[in-house]
Amino acid sequence: MSITDYWDFLVSRRADIWTAFLDHLQITFWAVLLGCIVAIPVAVLLVGNRISWVNSLVFTIANVLQTIPSLALLAILLPLIGVGRTPAILALFLYSLMPILRNTYTGFQAVDRNVLEAARGMGYSSAQRLFQIQMPLAFPYIMSGIRVTTVYIISWATLATLIGAGGLGQLIVSGMGTNKKELIVTGALLAVLLALAVDFVLGRIEKWITVRVKSEPVANTQ
Amino acid sequence: MRRRSKRWLLGTVLAGVLLMTSGCGRGDTILIGAQTFSEPKILAQMYKLLIEDRTDLKVDVLPDLATSPVVLQAMKNNDVQMGTLYSGEIFNNHFPIEDTKDRKRVLEQAQQGFDKYFNLKWYDPLGFENTYAFTVRKEVADKNQYKKISDLTANAQQMRLGVDTSWLERTADGYPAFKQHYNMTFGKTLPMEVALVYKAVANNEVDIVLAYSTDSRLKEYDLQTLEDDKKFFPPFDASPVVRKDLLEKHPEINDVLQLLIGKIDAKTMVDLNYEVDVKKRNERKVAEDYLKNVGLLK
Repeated sequence: MSITDYWDFLVSRRADIWTAFLDHLQITFWAVLLGCIVAIPVAVLLVGNRISWVNSLVFTIANVLQTIPSLALLAILLPLIGVGRTPAILALFLYSLMPILRNTYTGFQAVDRNVLEAARGMGYSSAQRLFQIQMPLAFPYIMSGIRVTTVYIISWATLATLIGAGGLGQLIVSGMGTNKKELIVTGALLAVLLALAVDFVLGRIEKWITVRVKSEPVANTQ
Repeated sequence: MRRRSKRWLLGTVLAGVLLMTSGCGRGDTILIGAQTFSEPKILAQMYKLLIEDRTDLKVDVLPDLATSPVVLQAMKNNDVQMGTLYSGEIFNNHFPIEDTKDRKRVLEQAQQGFDKYFNLKWYDPLGFENTYAFTVRKEVADKNQYKKISDLTANAQQMRLGVDTSWLERTADGYPAFKQHYNMTFGKTLPMEVALVYKAVANNEVDIVLAYSTDSRLKEYDLQTLEDDKKFFPPFDASPVVRKDLLEKHPEINDVLQLLIGKIDAKTMVDLNYEVDVKKRNERKVAEDYLKNVGLLK
């Protein structure tokens, strides 16, 4: 197949390709967003928690979820919530938990105790310490957790098509079923590009927020 | 300590490499490829049992190859040497074809084309066809008086269609051609692994599915197939397919496969699929019982 043939294919199928791309983006977005909403607060709670077995229990659960083969997890969820996008998002959400949880937790742990001590001495309440000291200092860790998660959720979401959720995997799998290599290549290529693009955008967001937080005088936020 | 751990690592890597390479060179073992659904897996077990019973050859089955084109590709690369394919496979852009729905012509083209372009022997049909069949829940069919595909025309826009992962992309007999042929489009299409469509329609997660006609779950879930009244779907006769170089080297395989040609009708195949898909029995056992029943195995 020549380049012009491939171009013709892209043009003639652009609507389908675009739909698959958007589906993929949406599945990834909701999975990661749910992951953040659950994992970040849980990590913060774990940092403040003094009962150590609770921490290890939570981390063990997140770790175990991580190790379930993705195809098996989809298969397990099927009888519970059926086919379509919801089970796919739920499965990928479960995978997103561990990296975000682990990174947020590590980020909070890495905050210098002396800094916290000094803040306490200056009369910061624990909420102020959380939002004005710990959160900003742990932020790069949290973001790197989110970035790692997003990149591999994008790659794993290609399996979602097997349970009727659509996405770029649909191009790949149907290409395999009909001997159309151009579909396989397009699906794979877009998944790679999407992962790179999203990682880049998240990187920019991280930088932008970091600069803003740093340049804000602490007195103003009080 | 460090030296020892290094040596240990080296040993592990070497063992891994050895394992991998020994996996590749299967020597004189014949490998049969089978798609993801039960039917080709059962048939592969039949070929295996018969060949091992009547020759000195050793046979293994490689199940769950994603799709028929994947099986073909594997045969072309000599990764597997046999498989079960359906005559409608010619519509998957493997080589130029004459567009026809005539059962005999489709089979002839499969036999000639895969011989010429893939160097494969495509046997005469086993005796049954496994084609696409639009299927709804029985109560839906009764309520709306659905008997044939044309009956859907008025409501198709409101229906969610569950299909296998390839049909939407198939050219001559897929969704784009279907839309023109029947002049209808479905509201929503959900492609998924074909084994899931039956339960999905039974559970009302989709309204209609494009089933495989020999699947036993049609009966199990009380589903109603609709007649293809405008003759859209091409024939899909199942045949064993074997690499020709293997047949030249071991002509006895040919004699063995001939035992099955024309012997398995659609009802038999549905029953065999039922044993595996609904009763959850092992494919090999089901194949063995069948061959014993018809007297091909003792």
